[in-house]
Amino acid sequence: MNGAAIRTRGRRARDIGFTIGAVVTIGFGFLAFLSLFWTPYDVAALDVDARLSPPSLAHWFGANQLGRDVLSMIMVGARTSIAVAFLAVGIGMGLGVPLGLAAAAFGGVIDDVVMRMGDLIFAFPALILAILIAAVMGPGAFNAIIAIGVFNIPVFARLTRGAALPVWNQGYVLAARCAGKNRAAISLEHILPNIAPVLIVQGTVQFSLAILAEAGLSYVGLGAQPPSPSWGRMLAESQTLASFAPWLVIIPGLAVFLFVLALNLVGDGLRHRLDPRNGRRS
Amino acid sequence: MQLEPPNLDPTSGAAAAIDEIVYANVFEGLTRINENGAVAPSLAERWTISDDGLVYDFTLRKDVRFHDGTAFDAGDVVFTLDRARAPASTNAQRPIFEQIESVTALAPDRVRVTLKEPLGAFLTYLGWGDAVIVAPESAATNASKPVGTGPFRFQRWRQGASVSLVRNDDYWGARPSLDQVNFIFIPDPTAAFAALMAGDVDGFPNYPAPENLPLIESDERFQVLYGTGEGEMIVAINNTSPPFDDIRVRRALNHAIDKQAVIDAGLFGYGTPLGSHFPPHHPAYVDLSARYPYNPALARKMLAEAGLARGFRTTLTLPPPAYARRGGEVIAAQLEAVGVKVEIRNLEWAQWLEQVFSNKAYDLTIVAHTEPLDIDIYARDDYYFQYRNEAFKSLIAALRRESDPEARNDLFRQAQKIIADDAVNVFIASSPKIAVWAKDVTGVWSNAPLQANDFTQADVTGRAAIAISHDDKQAFPAMPFLLLAALGAFVAVAFYSRASLAFLMSRFVAMIATLAAASLVIFLLMEVAPGDPAAFMMGLNADPASLAALKAELGLDQPAALRYFNWLGGLLTGDFGLSYTYRVPVAELIADRFWISLPLALIAFALSTVIGVPAGLAAAARRNRPGGRAILTAAQAGVAVPNFWLAILLVLCFSVSLRWFSAGGFPGWDAGLIPALKSLALPALALALPQAAILTQIMRSSMLDTLHEDYIRTARAKGLSMKQALRRHALRNALIPVLTILGLQFAFLLAGSIIVENVFYLPGLGRLVFQSIVQRDLIVVKSIVMVLVFIVIFAAFFVDLAYGVVDPRLREGRAK
Repeated sequence: MNGAAIRTRGRRARDIGFTIGAVVTIGFGFLAFLSLFWTPYDVAALDVDARLSPPSLAHWFGANQLGRDVLSMIMVGARTSIAVAFLAVGIGMGLGVPLGLAAAAFGGVIDDVVMRMGDLIFAFPALILAILIAAVMGPGAFNAIIAIGVFNIPVFARLTRGAALPVWNQGYVLAARCAGKNRAAISLEHILPNIAPVLIVQGTVQFSLAILAEAGLSYVGLGAQPPSPSWGRMLAESQTLASFAPWLVIIPGLAVFLFVLALNLVGDGLRHRLDPRNGRRS
Repeated sequence: MQLEPPNLDPTSGAAAAIDEIVYANVFEGLTRINENGAVAPSLAERWTISDDGLVYDFTLRKDVRFHDGTAFDAGDVVFTLDRARAPASTNAQRPIFEQIESVTALAPDRVRVTLKEPLGAFLTYLGWGDAVIVAPESAATNASKPVGTGPFRFQRWRQGASVSLVRNDDYWGARPSLDQVNFIFIPDPTAAFAALMAGDVDGFPNYPAPENLPLIESDERFQVLYGTGEGEMIVAINNTSPPFDDIRVRRALNHAIDKQAVIDAGLFGYGTPLGSHFPPHHPAYVDLSARYPYNPALARKMLAEAGLARGFRTTLTLPPPAYARRGGEVIAAQLEAVGVKVEIRNLEWAQWLEQVFSNKAYDLTIVAHTEPLDIDIYARDDYYFQYRNEAFKSLIAALRRESDPEARNDLFRQAQKIIADDAVNVFIASSPKIAVWAKDVTGVWSNAPLQANDFTQADVTGRAAIAISHDDKQAFPAMPFLLLAALGAFVAVAFYSRASLAFLMSRFVAMIATLAAASLVIFLLMEVAPGDPAAFMMGLNADPASLAALKAELGLDQPAALRYFNWLGGLLTGDFGLSYTYRVPVAELIADRFWISLPLALIAFALSTVIGVPAGLAAAARRNRPGGRAILTAAQAGVAVPNFWLAILLVLCFSVSLRWFSAGGFPGWDAGLIPALKSLALPALALALPQAAILTQIMRSSMLDTLHEDYIRTARAKGLSMKQALRRHALRNALIPVLTILGLQFAFLLAGSIIVENVFYLPGLGRLVFQSIVQRDLIVVKSIVMVLVFIVIFAAFFVDLAYGVVDPRLREGRAK
């Protein structure tokens, strides 16, 4: 088999993966959006007769120990998950990208400070950081966002700095500098558009990590508080019922797994489309 | 224990939680109730009753002393009973004591009690917690510092956490086997299960989470005791609050509620449907459970007859226990089905006692009445049911005078029928007393003739205390130990790699600087955390002077900078300070837990490396072939699996179905290496697999990158096979980026172990840190986080040094 054929086949597999990932991701997004207006059942409503009923036509994903519809809870949980992840990555990008741009543009002390702060935050594993924040501010979805967001800042700061530095050596940047543009303006007008693809790819990856982190935090009770449903807490609450109602632990876990997997596939696909450096590898 | 008592004086409080701790353990009465419900002598050796049933002569036991050393005599009995029947008495059973005409001391060991009218069950009443004998010297302080004559003396009450009793070596009776009994309050059923599985407690006299019983019964570490309970779970109705003053509405309510459904949801099926306020195991029981069969249509019809065809709105007030909260949701739904709009109000116990029990400001509520043979509460005018029936009252009065057992039973039967006919409340279920104990606990009550947990006969083979005990442990050596290890590794690497001094020094300084910065961040974060630890430790009614003294003792009155350096100095010497909730050194708390979390992370780390590196190499070698694709796909899936979910699935598969491993808990390293490692196997696997997947991906792409290098092409050109080139030239270079990931992975595994510990109920750092967050024991949180961060930074330092070994360019001090 020659090299070109191998590469083609690899690319085709990745295209399929990207398509599947995109469809699943959009599907979850749609479910979350739909839950704003409609869910099969009211997530707060109880149905004693349906208590612990396995998946059926009436309850596609079964019902929990109080007779609440699992599908409805998954839909609302998707909303919680996406909102937390989106805002957390937003914090990371919103603060990390400017910091990284500044570090690359000005170098020197600013560069040193940004990088050392990053080192410091990396010394705290994300979960431990979240625990600290929860200890100080109390558990809740908002604090989960902050905790995950803070951890994302140095991720984006480093990535931005690393990607921006080579761009500063490009001819057109030199030309802009000769034309008298200041460094901040160049960063915005020339550097940022050039590194945007890298940021988008990383954003997808961080988004999937944030989904995982949110599930973990709400599993240990540091995420969204009752009564708002969240995938992690659904797992925690049904864990002891797993032996006779396995769908209660399989379905929320599967939701996290599929969503994260889909996001990773999309991230992979985007990387190969948007980031020329990765072109030669498969 | 599920509930913490409001105080510890059974003679001035109604809460069952008081008796559950102090009855028969700390306090004793003239008589006592045995496990089978019979009356037995206690502080009264024997007694005689006059023929008219009015005069009781008690002969008291001699040589009995209270825990404070004062002697027990007839004066104490007179004091106790006079206090209970006085107009200002706060005794919950005052109506009974008011039947006493006079109490006189005939001699130091003889007491005569004269009644106003015969009381058939007087000796039983004297065996209740409300009638325990207290001394005039200590009666005023019994609420917080109970002093009785029992086999255990009160040691300490940590508000919000536990009550400890220790053996009374001067006890007049047989010495108990246990040195110490700790009652630990765990209100949340899920937390109760976790505490049991983790071995934090030896048992629950009343297990609050019946849904877990199948799992517990299948666990060989535990025994489940099903006893007869005196509890009647009822939907109490405010009989004067419209529309419930109409008997048709109350009867409609009875028809509207499906008792079996409430039992299934609220008690997970562990209950017998009732039709009146009486326990089924009693000989006088009449089965009235079918008196108002479940019939929503009939209920609607009856409501319509009462003029409520369009339904009405009402409130359902729920106290905290799970049976009430879960049952309440079901009952609300059932009432909605007949047109009654129910608003649920969840209250804490204190609020419930005040609003519902005392002020009767409620419509409906759910509660279990656990007092034995308490049907007479329906004869009380001011009771919270607000039920008044003169015929019933005279029946109870007759019952009180009657002492012939068969005649009493007959009166009991009539009483049951009257309150059922009047539909005073909706009588839901009698629940069994379900106790869960560790296998080696013996001599505990399985029946509950009254709410008490008599530990006089209890024993635990091989252990001195029941529940948690914090034995004296060595101060936590981990910090100095790790520092020494770091130094050792440092010297070893320096020697082995002949690295330049500049490189070594720069790495070392960087590590120390990061440590210092991290400790500062943690300290500052904790400074801004709300809540004064000293106030938290002292409780709500703290005296300002003692609060100041405690602050000084804890060093909280010093300036922040000084406290920071003290804390830092303490960390280095293994002295982490005192836990705010447990009042024991934090280092002791952490020490045991640390040796679960760290080994777990290390095993997971080893597993992940052993799986991930070879898998990544194999995937690189078989790239674009089915084998490589399969590995890559598996890795892609592995990365997306949440480790705690994987952990639950592993439990389902290997513990619940195959029964190869226990579903959780940790036997302790003392139990031997094999059982200990076995209990860490599943958690380690759950942690390792997702990390192995990441490692596989990194290893693969790093290897592929290296294989594109010119020197590999040269090696291939000179005739080496792909495998040879891979092994001789590529591997070492490809490992460099993998090293970075390994360093990060260790940090992630250590943090991840905190979550996975919760799945397996391992008593590691994770459980401790979450408990501490809930209890706002910030000094424990602070210390645990610092230990974890220290390990992470140490791991990063180690990776840095390893770079030096793998890549000679780096150790020369050239830029990375």
